[in-house]
Amino acid sequence: MAASSSPYVTLISNDGFEFIVSRDAACVAGTVKKMLDPHSSFAESISGRCTLGTINGVVLEKVCEYLYYNLKHKDEKDVPDMEIPPELCLELLMAADYLHV
Amino acid sequence: MSKPVAITMAGRRAANNQIRGPQSALTDFLASNNISAAQISADYERRQREARRQQEQESTANGESIDQKDDEERVETAAQKKKRKRQQEKTLAKIKESKDYKRQKKRKDEGSDGENDDVAWDMYTRRKPLPGQLENCENCEKRFTVTAYSKTGPDGGLLCTKCSKEQEDQKKKDQKSKKQAVSRDKRRHVQSNLLDGIVQIGSRTLQELCIKEVANNIHEVEEFGDLPQSLLNRLSQILSRRRVITSRTLELFLRPDLETIDIYDCGKLETEDYIKIFSVVPKVQNLNLRNAGQFKDEVVDYIIERNVPLRILQLEAANLVSNGKWAEFFENCGLRLETLKLSWLDYSMDEDTFMCLIRHCPNIKRLKMKKCFRLGDVALGVMTELRQLEHVSLRFPTATTPGVLADLISSVGPGLRTLSLEGFSDADDDALSMIHSNCTQLSKLRFTENDCCTDVGFASLFINWSNPALAFIDFSSNRSVDYAVPDGPEDPVGLASGGFEALIRHSGSRLERLDISSCRHITYESFSRVFDGKQQYPVLKDINISFLTKIDTSIVAGMFRSCPELIKVTAFGCFNVTEVAVPKGVALIGVPNAQDAIVQEGEVDADVWNGLTM
Repeated sequence: MAASSSPYVTLISNDGFEFIVSRDAACVAGTVKKMLDPHSSFAESISGRCTLGTINGVVLEKVCEYLYYNLKHKDEKDVPDMEIPPELCLELLMAADYLHV
Repeated sequence: MSKPVAITMAGRRAANNQIRGPQSALTDFLASNNISAAQISADYERRQREARRQQEQESTANGESIDQKDDEERVETAAQKKKRKRQQEKTLAKIKESKDYKRQKKRKDEGSDGENDDVAWDMYTRRKPLPGQLENCENCEKRFTVTAYSKTGPDGGLLCTKCSKEQEDQKKKDQKSKKQAVSRDKRRHVQSNLLDGIVQIGSRTLQELCIKEVANNIHEVEEFGDLPQSLLNRLSQILSRRRVITSRTLELFLRPDLETIDIYDCGKLETEDYIKIFSVVPKVQNLNLRNAGQFKDEVVDYIIERNVPLRILQLEAANLVSNGKWAEFFENCGLRLETLKLSWLDYSMDEDTFMCLIRHCPNIKRLKMKKCFRLGDVALGVMTELRQLEHVSLRFPTATTPGVLADLISSVGPGLRTLSLEGFSDADDDALSMIHSNCTQLSKLRFTENDCCTDVGFASLFINWSNPALAFIDFSSNRSVDYAVPDGPEDPVGLASGGFEALIRHSGSRLERLDISSCRHITYESFSRVFDGKQQYPVLKDINISFLTKIDTSIVAGMFRSCPELIKVTAFGCFNVTEVAVPKGVALIGVPNAQDAIVQEGEVDADVWNGLTM
């Protein structure tokens, strides 16, 4: 039960990379938020570990960067756009669609 | 023609001859002041000639000395020259002693038996003076003391203190102007977004960022992979807006498993490209092509031949499809059609063809005919047979008879959920009363650009109407257009206070979008009653009050309080709205002096962006 209240959660890519991010940041992504919802009693919500089988490490790293970027600029106006490397944009787009961010 | 000119020229030279050609104001002026243009030019040439002669003489006399002088470019006294030479020799000697020199010399000696002096000289010229030494400034040639702060000039030499400072200032200036340009561009971008009704709070979604990046690099993309339909649609919108949908980019959107294709700008596509759509995506059911100028008979032939299972078809400006081909299309594919939206057809689609449509498309539920130039009363008349219609949008460029429209409403009205009648300027109160008595399931109603219906007509439409509250109402430009009587007649024509208040009473609770622009007979009192800040319109999010000059700041402020879900207010030409504080997340468009910096209370609407784009 300790995991469900920890301020950090782990996101795991399909090639085994683990990203430990703050719960607030992780919940920017709608899909992850639902996974971690304490009322859902999903395995993820209990263990605090989300395995994202469709996303590889490189893309997930960028996603994590975005999660923090989003959190940082939450209430600001005229936020500068985050840099997206062109070679990643399509994969990242698929991941963003899956994660609802 | 050349002869008379010759005569005048000769005449002018002779001065006595009376034949004159046209002459300029300047020549006239000079002549009146006793100045001769010919004299001036002769003088000039003489001076030139003399200068040239003098130059030639000098060069022959001085021989090569001039060239030498040019090379040296500076005048030294004998003493200075001596001093310089001495210093030069001293430095050279020092260099010759240095380790670096020995090493370099060794290397050179190994290669060839070159002169040792060469190496030393090279090093002398290449060496940068150390702090404390004297040096000539690269820019102004002045002698100065080198310090640790001396800057390097554009050609690699050192600069004196003054030139260093100037260069630094210039650099700073450049940086500053660059920065300003960026911020100006950003401000323009924010304003442009505001016009689109987007108020950005927080960062964009990752999806939106990625889509933008994909659009920026569209020419490098080889395929989209299995992107979901919603993202394809968004990409199509962005690429269409940038006008980069070409034969090549179109291919990215074609995938055999797709059933929906939306291309918002087909301006650059050729006939073969349309055929390619159907050959690659044979199961397309929902097709939306705008600006489809090259969508020709051959394409329709292909659709018929391959039996493409189209259910939903939207075409804009497909003018090269002939009447006969349309008829053939309806005969063959009409049974399946559920939605047909055609716009900007000014050549084909005449009333006979339209009758063919009515006859062969019994399952059509959604019909939009806009700017089809050859449709009129007859089309309205035959449409009465389409009792299964649920959504109708019409805009005919030709005038129609009020009675025919009323008949249409009474026959198709009971099944309608959407009724959009734009620019039926001859329709009268009968049309409104027909809507009142026949339509009971409407959720979207548009009735615009009319100056025949009266305020009483609008009021009685809404009073005791059995139709549930509407979600979308567009009554823009319902007003009297008699400019001799700017305030309208005694009994108001168009949507005025009575109709407006009845509308709000009937639909206020579920209204999401309201457009009452240019309904200029609605009074100030009426607005202040409706938007008093206490009455709540819980789902109203988009309102257009453009050109309602009576509206002032307090009304808009009341509107912000009365509509908690508001995200977009369009208020062009509302000159009495000044310095209104705009709540967070609301886009107030068209008010130049609105202070968007002042953000009031109010929660951020996370879906602001999703709520209003396309």
